[in-house]
Amino acid sequence: MLYQRLFAASLLLACLCLGFIAWGYQAPFSYEPVGPRAYPLMLLILLALGALVLLVKPAMESSESDEPALTRPMLIKAAICLGLLLALAALFERLGFIPTSILFALGMARLFGGRWLPSAVLALVLGVGLYFLFDRVLEVPLPLGVLSALEI
Amino acid sequence: MDTLSYLGQGFDVALSPNNLVTALAGTTIGTIVGLLPGLGPINGVALLIPVAFALGLPPETALILLASVYLGCEYGGRISSILLNIPGEASAVMTTLDGHPLAKQGKGGIALSISAWSSFIGGLIATIGVTIFAPLLAKWAVSFGPAEYFMLMVFAIVCLAGMAGDKPIKTAVAVLIGLMLACVGIDANSGVYRFTFGSLGLADGIQFVVLVLGLFSVSEILMLLERTHQGQVAVKASGRMLFNLKEGAFVLATNLRSGVLGFIFGVLPGAGATLASAVSYMSEKRLAGDKGRFGDGDLRGLAAPETANSASACGSMIPMLTLGIPGSGTTAVMLGALTLYNITPGPLLFQHQPDIVWGLIASLFVANIILIVMNVPLIKVFTRILAVPSWTLVPAIAIITSIGVYAVHATTFDLFLMIAIGLFGYLLRKLDFPLSALLLGFILGHMMESNLRRALSISNGDLGILFSSPITIGLWVLVAAMVALPFWRRYRSKRSAALASA
Repeated sequence: MLYQRLFAASLLLACLCLGFIAWGYQAPFSYEPVGPRAYPLMLLILLALGALVLLVKPAMESSESDEPALTRPMLIKAAICLGLLLALAALFERLGFIPTSILFALGMARLFGGRWLPSAVLALVLGVGLYFLFDRVLEVPLPLGVLSALEI
Repeated sequence: MDTLSYLGQGFDVALSPNNLVTALAGTTIGTIVGLLPGLGPINGVALLIPVAFALGLPPETALILLASVYLGCEYGGRISSILLNIPGEASAVMTTLDGHPLAKQGKGGIALSISAWSSFIGGLIATIGVTIFAPLLAKWAVSFGPAEYFMLMVFAIVCLAGMAGDKPIKTAVAVLIGLMLACVGIDANSGVYRFTFGSLGLADGIQFVVLVLGLFSVSEILMLLERTHQGQVAVKASGRMLFNLKEGAFVLATNLRSGVLGFIFGVLPGAGATLASAVSYMSEKRLAGDKGRFGDGDLRGLAAPETANSASACGSMIPMLTLGIPGSGTTAVMLGALTLYNITPGPLLFQHQPDIVWGLIASLFVANIILIVMNVPLIKVFTRILAVPSWTLVPAIAIITSIGVYAVHATTFDLFLMIAIGLFGYLLRKLDFPLSALLLGFILGHMMESNLRRALSISNGDLGILFSSPITIGLWVLVAAMVALPFWRRYRSKRSAALASA
């Protein structure tokens, strides 16, 4: 319930900020009666109303939830997972696809409870296999990064 | 007669060797994805969009791929429901009620084949419905102007919220967030940059693939963290694999009723498979009365939701194809995929690109037949897939997702944006906001704004144009009824609670 309220409050705050920003949207010269401002403002007002209802009466909308509450070990796991994803995004071009995805897959497989050896094998297969599948067979160019010297 | 000749033309498209192989591959992939716990049709279709794009498939083939994956997922979802008692997604919940008891009684094989058969009948009824009604609706919809379209979209959104059951406001908020996200980027009419915060990566708006994969792949990975499993042990599907004629005849009436019901729910925007399977289960239970053994293994209780489920999956193609307005999360993804090909679904699609429309409709027939032929002998193979542990699955999904996003613009900005959207989606799911509603809002966003502004340009700013034609007025009435529905429902449940306590 507390989290529901917290979310509704931040949504309301975001609506206000975005509304403030949207107020400045004005076309330099316009050919039509409705400019770029009216529609987002209309949405924001509706959204703010919805957030207000959720803030005042969260009980109305939260019948028993199917989702288990977040526990501390869960939060740590989620944070590691996010960290791995961010590392994947950050190293994607710098290190190149193959080394990044091998490291990433190893971390993810361990996080989801795989043992070291099978995880390492899986990571190698995924990193190299997906590179060849997408870059060579499907012709989606992927960055080679540090391995670009090896390019054939 | 026109319809028949077009349909023949469609079969020519669907039965061309390429498309036939595509449909076969799509149904297989779909069944496997549907089987894997936690992955449903939206994830499957979303993951395949970049692949279809990368393969350079022509639009009709890509659409056939996505549609057959969709149908395959609905098929696959029931295997995990029956044998594991784990519904892969919301629409399969009803299947577990009678399906799992049957499996525990050693009738797993019969249950699986009955549900495959029911899905087939449901798909068939709905596909016939699509063939008959889609062209009619398209012909009628050609006369729609921007005002009518705008109102239609408002109706679709209100419908989604009104039908959402216990959380109409959360659904509405989710749709509005989606509509807001669609506003990001340069405004097509005036060239004003909106909500880009000076970022070049956002000037183009949020890419559809980035949003879909963030919402449904990244957030799903985070969700799976809580449900890590080391492969599941399924109840063995032993004994007779095929149902006999007596059992088939026993459920036939249920099949027919639920198929029609499911089709109608599929066509309605926002209602979708979840509601269709629940309503058909309930009504069959009521029809059977005390004689039924619903809840501990009645074949009809299995047949009803399965038929309705796949009928509504096919039925939801109608609003997508004829109006360009998706009725469910999955069709929203397909619509987004079409726009990647610069194809705008809508009534004119029937005139300009009949190959695509009729090819898709014909391939729905074909995919349904492939599924039933494939499923009965291959059930043993599929049940083995249930044993795949998530530590092998998740890294693969995550990397393929990243490739798909990177392939759009070849910038890592999109990857970061995807992760941010994924985290946001995860929080929303934790707080019980429906993500498919957000996606629907995002898809409708551009169309809604441009239609509204076009309508107001025609009337020179007079809001009266939204009330000017019989169609718009009719839609207003429907919107009002839909807004009133949750209030009425709450009032009624309160009153019955009061009566019960008195």
